[in-house]
Amino acid sequence: MLSELANHRTLTLAAVVAAFLASPIGTWAQTNYAAEAAKNPGAASRPTPHMADGHPDLNGVWHHFFGIGTIQKVGDSFTVGGAFSPKSASLYAKPLGDPKPEYKPELMAKVNSLNANQVKEDSTLHCIPPGVPRLGPPHQIVQTPKQAIFLYADNTGNQWRVIPLDARPHSTDPETAATYNGDSVGHWEADTLVVDVTRLTDETWLGDNGLFHSRKLHVTERLRRVGDTIQYQVTADDPEILQKPWTLSRTLTLQPDALEEAAPCVDKDAGHYVTLEHHNNTR
Amino acid sequence: MGVTNRLRWAAVLALSCALPAIAHHSFSAEFDASKTVTLHGTISKVDWVNPHIWVYVDVKDDTGKTTTWALQSLPPLFFRGSGLTKDVLLSSKQEVTVTLNPAKDGADSGFMTKLAYPDGHVFSMSPADADPSLRKTQK
Repeated sequence: MLSELANHRTLTLAAVVAAFLASPIGTWAQTNYAAEAAKNPGAASRPTPHMADGHPDLNGVWHHFFGIGTIQKVGDSFTVGGAFSPKSASLYAKPLGDPKPEYKPELMAKVNSLNANQVKEDSTLHCIPPGVPRLGPPHQIVQTPKQAIFLYADNTGNQWRVIPLDARPHSTDPETAATYNGDSVGHWEADTLVVDVTRLTDETWLGDNGLFHSRKLHVTERLRRVGDTIQYQVTADDPEILQKPWTLSRTLTLQPDALEEAAPCVDKDAGHYVTLEHHNNTR
Repeated sequence: MGVTNRLRWAAVLALSCALPAIAHHSFSAEFDASKTVTLHGTISKVDWVNPHIWVYVDVKDDTGKTTTWALQSLPPLFFRGSGLTKDVLLSSKQEVTVTLNPAKDGADSGFMTKLAYPDGHVFSMSPADADPSLRKTQK
């Protein structure tokens, strides 16, 4: 038992130290999906609840962005925990195994340049909304027969999307501006909610490290409830810049705690950058 | 007395592997993780904002001149449930001891890694403090 504990301790310590060492060169992105799953063991094997209209019930809090660290009480003092506690670091370090988007070869120089200058070029580092799909899966879903509301307590500020579920077409009004979260319409395909998103501004990126996109970006999200989990899949199709559509998958777990509003985002860093160093972000 | 003494702060070199990677994006573009500065002063202002909270500490030198240090720290969400709120930070008028990694641009600024109160309780924002054995190796 003692040796097991010692081994466990050695491994988790090694994970923490490795994470510190790796961070400046950008190989460790922290996530909290596995830690959220650990909060609700056996969630996927529970019965899947349904609404009165027969569709799966997606209501609930499913994810917290950047809840990777906490300050925890230890004796009379407080120390950083969560992703930085030896007890739980391995949960947060679990790799997502995401594929990389495949850009047209002639555009890789632009990706690399944006990546090298990320502290200046990445607008999310300066409190601009990340936009869809970088915003990630919904933190909370409020569902009615006619629409689904996706809520996000993002660290760039609170975000919301109202998604009509009546299979209406996208707006064709040429005056409708492209926005961070775009024009979303939803419909059910059997037990899967499918959300189709267009009219996305090209001010945002698909993800970390310079992954820009064009105004032609078309995003499709698929949400399927399995017990107290949601299988979330998002596909970004941008034929202007990508060789083929790029798809990410996440498993969300129903969370016991409420969604708290995000503190306002105020960029106080921009004037103090001395170098262009950065490391991988959580998205 | 040198400037450092008059400002009542001391800089020491820390092991550079104890990087405060918890700053979510561009810590190393702005702060020097290889240096640690300790200040004694009172908290005069708090910005409870994303992506990082900012705590302002008034530090008096021997002549009575006050310098206000602007200290970035962790995102507000990290402090959830710890009891360390904006109100708590501002309610204590006692002199606190703060440890920080200084700004690379030479401003009176830094990334706060530890906040200690006279009664002995401490808020640590450094991953190295999350485990006692890491804490030993750092010293």
